[in-house]
Amino acid sequence: MLDVGRHPNLELLAYSEVEKVEGEAGNFKVTVRRKTRYVEEDRCTGCGACAEKCPTAVPDAFNEGLGARSAIYSYFAQGIPSTHTIDPDHCRQLNGKKCGICAKTCQAEAINFEQEDRIIELNVGAIIIAAGYDIFDPSLIPEYRYREIANVVTAIEFERLLSASGPTEGHMDRPSDRAVLAEIAALEKKAKKSQKALDKLEKKFDEPSAAFYGKYQAGEYEGDEDRKKWADKYASHLKIVEPLEELKKKAKRFTVAKRLAFIQCVGSRDFRFYPFCSGYCCMHSIKEAVIAQEHAPETTSTIFGMDIRAIGKGFEEYKIRGGNNSNITYVRGRIAEITEGPNNNPVVTYENTRERKVESREFDMVVLATACAPTKGIGTLAKTVGVELDKYNFIKTSSLSPVDTTTPGIFVCGCAESPMDVPESVAQASSAAQRAAEIAFQSELEKEKAVA
Amino acid sequence: MPDKKEDIRIGVFLCHCGSNIAGYLDMEELEEFSRKLPHVTFVLRNLYTCSEGGINEIKKAIEEQNLNRVVVASCTPRTHEPLFRSSCGEAGLNPYLFEMVNIRDQCSWVHMKEQEAGTTKAKDLIRMGVAKAALLEPQEPIMSEVQRRALVLGGGIAGMTASLALANRGYEVVLIEKEESLGGMLNNLNKLSPTMTDAGALADEKIKAVTGHVNITVFTKAKVTEVRGFIGKYNVDIETESGVTTIDIGVIVVSTGGRAFVPEGLYGYDGKRVVTQLEMEKLLKDGLDTDIKNVVMIQCVGSRNEERPYCSRICCQTAVKNAMLIREQNPDSKVSILYRDMQMYGVENEEMFRDSKAKGVRYINYDPANPPQVEFDKVRVYHPLFGRDMDLPVDLVVLSTPVVSQEGAEEISQLLRVPIDENGFFLEGHVKLKPLDFATDGIFLCGSARFPANIRETVAQGLGAASRASIPLAKGSIVVEPIISVLADEDACRGCGLCVALCPYGALEVRTTEKGRKVHVIDVACKGCGVCAATCYQHALSINSFTDNQIEAQLEAFLD
Amino acid sequence: MSKDILVIGGGIAGMQSSLDLADMGIKVHLVEKLPSIGGKMAQLDKTFPTNDCAI
Repeated sequence: MLDVGRHPNLELLAYSEVEKVEGEAGNFKVTVRRKTRYVEEDRCTGCGACAEKCPTAVPDAFNEGLGARSAIYSYFAQGIPSTHTIDPDHCRQLNGKKCGICAKTCQAEAINFEQEDRIIELNVGAIIIAAGYDIFDPSLIPEYRYREIANVVTAIEFERLLSASGPTEGHMDRPSDRAVLAEIAALEKKAKKSQKALDKLEKKFDEPSAAFYGKYQAGEYEGDEDRKKWADKYASHLKIVEPLEELKKKAKRFTVAKRLAFIQCVGSRDFRFYPFCSGYCCMHSIKEAVIAQEHAPETTSTIFGMDIRAIGKGFEEYKIRGGNNSNITYVRGRIAEITEGPNNNPVVTYENTRERKVESREFDMVVLATACAPTKGIGTLAKTVGVELDKYNFIKTSSLSPVDTTTPGIFVCGCAESPMDVPESVAQASSAAQRAAEIAFQSELEKEKAVA
Repeated sequence: MPDKKEDIRIGVFLCHCGSNIAGYLDMEELEEFSRKLPHVTFVLRNLYTCSEGGINEIKKAIEEQNLNRVVVASCTPRTHEPLFRSSCGEAGLNPYLFEMVNIRDQCSWVHMKEQEAGTTKAKDLIRMGVAKAALLEPQEPIMSEVQRRALVLGGGIAGMTASLALANRGYEVVLIEKEESLGGMLNNLNKLSPTMTDAGALADEKIKAVTGHVNITVFTKAKVTEVRGFIGKYNVDIETESGVTTIDIGVIVVSTGGRAFVPEGLYGYDGKRVVTQLEMEKLLKDGLDTDIKNVVMIQCVGSRNEERPYCSRICCQTAVKNAMLIREQNPDSKVSILYRDMQMYGVENEEMFRDSKAKGVRYINYDPANPPQVEFDKVRVYHPLFGRDMDLPVDLVVLSTPVVSQEGAEEISQLLRVPIDENGFFLEGHVKLKPLDFATDGIFLCGSARFPANIRETVAQGLGAASRASIPLAKGSIVVEPIISVLADEDACRGCGLCVALCPYGALEVRTTEKGRKVHVIDVACKGCGVCAATCYQHALSINSFTDNQIEAQLEAFLD
Repeated sequence: MSKDILVIGGGIAGMQSSLDLADMGIKVHLVEKLPSIGGKMAQLDKTFPTNDCAI
């Protein structure tokens, strides 16, 4: 990734979109919109001081909304370029409120609220589309109750939970428990504030609140307005502290997720959504189960799938090793339903096709191996660039010309073409580079001829 | 450059790696510790030293603090050393006056549960790194010309695709095929899924394009018998019936393909009533006997077992394709596929799989612990959904056997000094990120020589390998890291040649000089592995940036 | 006629195409809609089977 940012032959146009393409192979005119970051690229050093001071918290897309970022942000810590960007939907200043804290903080004077989008024109010989894919939204499958049951997460969310740079620093804390901990933190803040007010009153009347409150309730201070205020304050304090203690008691029992279920073909091989197989999800689940067990050795994982498609080099061996060394069990079956059991535990109901039985099992957390969906903007992009899509909205190719689109001079690679895993994407990327280079060198050979 | 020791000014950069390091080691303590080390004049901690911000800090410090050595204590040099080196270079410091200390893999990761001990170990490693840094010498990169000609080994679809791609870019290609004609596996196939393209017609079309291309020279019934040299400057002997030809070559593409496993002794295999999918291709090509009404296919024959643990990726596609073709030729036939997992990954395969069910192909899952039994006129299989054994009548049993490594793959691996994996397939540089490169520069791979691949994947890899191979050809020269073996003490060398025999990269040779027999290092071929320096009795050979006195200084620092 | 190439998308596929072409000496313009390149792979904690960090 760093090489891309540093290569002398490579112009990186991040936070930009292709708006118009005209011309033909060997000679395309391309219009690119460079969206404003409200930050001057050549001034920003990526130090992050602005983000630290920014008062606005926004769910963090890079961490799948599991963490928060500020309204001025770098997309992720090692991101290239590290230039920060102001999110115009959430920035206070850009939404008419008084703020500008980032501009005051930035020593490089890089913040520019007046900065506008810029339009640039490129002349290129060939185009490669590597627009990637989207992750299928599993809330479309009602029986899996994603978002209704906190401890049902997607594979990419689980990836962020496993990551040392993710929101849990790599601990497999359950989302339901994290929600409780967040509530405890909020209540503690409130309790501290109300305790401060009580402290003052206790000092004034020289008596602990609890002792006073007993007497007050017995009717001792009737008509005393000051003491009534104290009593009201204490009553509302109790309303904070009592549930807080309950939650704290509950939180003491929290452990990381140890019994994991992985559900395959979520949105794939499903006529309601995508009939195709996404190809990489079986291995993704196995890898996540292996890493989870490395993080906490007592972790057990059950992978539910129709077929476990371990079809790449070393994949089947990895799958077997996962079973032998990483407490992974593979169950052949399709999940009928996920419900919520005691202690926020998801309960999975499925047909075990080997045993010919319908079974239900409780887990600490369920991970959904979501389909590789065509990326949302692909229709617009295909129209802009001028290529055809297949019936699923992937870029159309043919098996004997695997990276050629329907338009000469325009090529495709990676999951914009169809779902595939990393080595296939890398190999295909080189294929697309080869096809594009044929055009680039053609133009050079012709130039040489013209000169001769 | 400073020539006296007291002029040495070392900057130490300590990376938190987010929480990967800082979550487990006491970074403040490491900072304090580093400040007190000899020659250290500057210390800085970064959240991510590799981020653009972190790199800018290094550059700034080199300039402002007048540093002449840089030490980064972070992750592994395997991924990040090139970045830090070149960043030093960009700031005007010779890139080889840089030393990296791995406090992530070797400290925070392995000692996650012993944080104090981990921190102590990090101190040891940093102290050693600083001691070595003080003795580092500047080095200059090595340049070498590239012969703009590629050698492609294997004239199947992968090799032909790669050859045409390179030739279309204007490079000369020498294509070697061991058989009498080009085409490889295509010559034995009937139709290619999912489009049912005629394999023979495709082979003919490609062969015509290859043999007609001015930039491609084809050698058939040929083999490579000797490979000398290194990237850009290979010198290769090609043996054909008419003798040996020697050609200068810049890069090599390995596309030797694979072959179908022959299931001798399995499921009553006889090549007549029990055949392989490859034999099935021929039966279909020639037109299937109309008497064949009942066909059973068995998947994973000779694969996904102890002897051959891998899944061969393409056999399920082949079975589904042939099942449909059988139904097409004999519409009243019954075809059942007995499988473990149907590996119909992706869009096209899964679609074909669904299609086949609609067209009446039947699927029965079997458990490898209770495999199907092939008898004379029936196959008995336990049907998990019915919960009992079933007898399927058969006129023909088709065994789906894996693609196994090509005959002679081992020989080629020795000739080119590139590795093969435990299954006999060629082993790429990195399974995820460098699927078409070997670890050795200048040699590339594609198709089933790497791992079983279908037509789409093979064509893509052929094009991709051409892209990778064309990079040195396009540049016309290569630049090599100067951390290599040098004959540091020529007088000590006795020309015994022990090192020459041990060098895994063919980077050493003994030459007769005025002073007698002396070893010579072919610098662009040397990878700096150090085998020669470690084995030389005379301590005549030494590795740049890993000299004896640098390593001794590290050991002394460790024992301090 | 132009020798330059436009690559749309800065994930692993777009980055690899861009680097191949740039290494061949061809000028590449890489357009990414998000603030940083890296794509989905940058979100992965580690990659199978070497468990290397994905970046």
